[in-house]
Amino acid sequence: MVKHHPPADFLTEYAAGVLPMAQSACVAAHLSYCQRCRHIVERLEDIGGAHFEQLDPQPVGDSMLDRVLARLDDPEPLRYARSEASDDRLPGLLDRLINGDYADLAWKRVTQSLSISYLKTGDLEHEFALYRIAEGGKIPEHTHGGSEMTLVLSGGFSDESGEYHPGDFIVREGWDKHTPVALEGEECICLAVLDAPLRFTRLRHRWLNPLIKLNAG
Amino acid sequence: MVEKTTQSAAPPAQNSGKWNVPTGRRTDEWSQALVSVGESQDRAAFTRFFRHFAPLIKAFALSGSSLSATHADELVQEVMLKVWQKAGGFNPEKAAASTWVYTIARNCRTDMFRRLQKFDTPLASDDFELESEEEESFIVLHTRRGSERVRELMGELPPDQAQILAKVYMEGKSHSEAAAELDLPLGTVKSRVRLAIQKLQALMEA
Repeated sequence: MVKHHPPADFLTEYAAGVLPMAQSACVAAHLSYCQRCRHIVERLEDIGGAHFEQLDPQPVGDSMLDRVLARLDDPEPLRYARSEASDDRLPGLLDRLINGDYADLAWKRVTQSLSISYLKTGDLEHEFALYRIAEGGKIPEHTHGGSEMTLVLSGGFSDESGEYHPGDFIVREGWDKHTPVALEGEECICLAVLDAPLRFTRLRHRWLNPLIKLNAG
Repeated sequence: MVEKTTQSAAPPAQNSGKWNVPTGRRTDEWSQALVSVGESQDRAAFTRFFRHFAPLIKAFALSGSSLSATHADELVQEVMLKVWQKAGGFNPEKAAASTWVYTIARNCRTDMFRRLQKFDTPLASDDFELESEEEESFIVLHTRRGSERVRELMGELPPDQAQILAKVYMEGKSHSEAAAELDLPLGTVKSRVRLAIQKLQALMEA
C-alpha cells in the first residue's frame, strides 16, 4: 500500500502537462503504483477539460477536415511493446528507459553501499537516475542544492522522517538534510530526479562532492 | 488573423452558467459520437466531432501564443487523427469527451514543443499513459460524479484562482512562468492553485 504521495501542485502541473520531462516521468511512474493519485489526476484533468470546452473556437476550414479524412486509413504508428525479459512490476515508462535488466545498466559506484546509474530522458535540467543501495546500506548524510524527487522501485529505505516502500514518492527540498538507510533483507532501488547535485555534509564524505556532478540529459 | 472578440483562455469565473456540466444532452452527444467512431469507424460521427472539436483544439494550440498558425493547424490534424485511432479506448462512463480530447491535445502539444526545441528524448507523451485496467463499478460511478463536480466547481472559483488555472492548463505555463507573466510572487501562484485544488478535494471527499 503506497503511503507517500506527490504534493498536489506537482499533480496539478502533471495534469496540465507542464512538468519538466524527468519530473513528469517520475510522477507517472508513481501513478502506476497508486490508484488514489490516478483518480486525483483524472479530476485534475477534468479542470483541463472544463477550460478546454470553454475556449473561444477558432475557425478551421473544410480543407483541413478533408486532409484529415484522407489520412484516416494511414497505418497507425507502431507502439512500443514490453520486451519478454522485462520486469513486469516496473512501470512501463521506466521499463522503456531501462531497456532490459538492472544488471545491464552502467552502474557507477559512489560508496561501498551506493551505486548510481544515470538514465537519459532528454531533460537537460534534471538528472534522472537509479540509486542502488545494498541491504542495510547507508547513503551518507547530504543536502541538495535544489529539489529531489524519489520513488522507491524495490526494497525500501528509511530516513529521519519515515520508512518507504515500493511506490512511495518523496520530495525533499535543498535545505533538508537526510541520511537514508536501506531496509534489511533486500537491496533498495530508487528512482531519483534532481535539479542540482547532492552534497554530502559530513567531513569524511565531503571529498566526494567535487566528483559528483549533475548528470542531466 | 481572426480577431478575438471574447476573452482569451480565461473564462469569467462568476459566469457559472457558462460551464457545461456533462449531464446535459450536448455533452452526451459527443460521448456517443466517440463511441460510434470507436466501435464502427463511423466517419459521419467523426465529421460531426471534428466540426465541434477542431476549432477548440486550434484555440488551445494558439492560447499562450506559443505556436505559429501553421503549427496550430498541424496540431489540429495530429490530435484529430489520434482521436480516430484511440476512440476504441474511450470509456464514456469514466471520462467526459472534452476531458478525453483535452488530454490528447495536451500530449500532442507537449510532443510538438519538444520537437520544435529539438529535445532529444526516447520518450513520447503516449508512453506516460497508464495501461488501462478494469475498475470496480462504484469507482466508475464515483468518477463520473467527480467529473461533473469539477465543472460545477470551476464556475464557483474566484477569478484570481480561475485565471491561474487557465494559464497553467490552457497556455501550458508552469507555476513559475505563470508567476512571472502575472507579475506575482511564485508563492502567491502556488497558494491560489492550492486553494482551488483543496476545494476540489473537499468536493471529491464529500
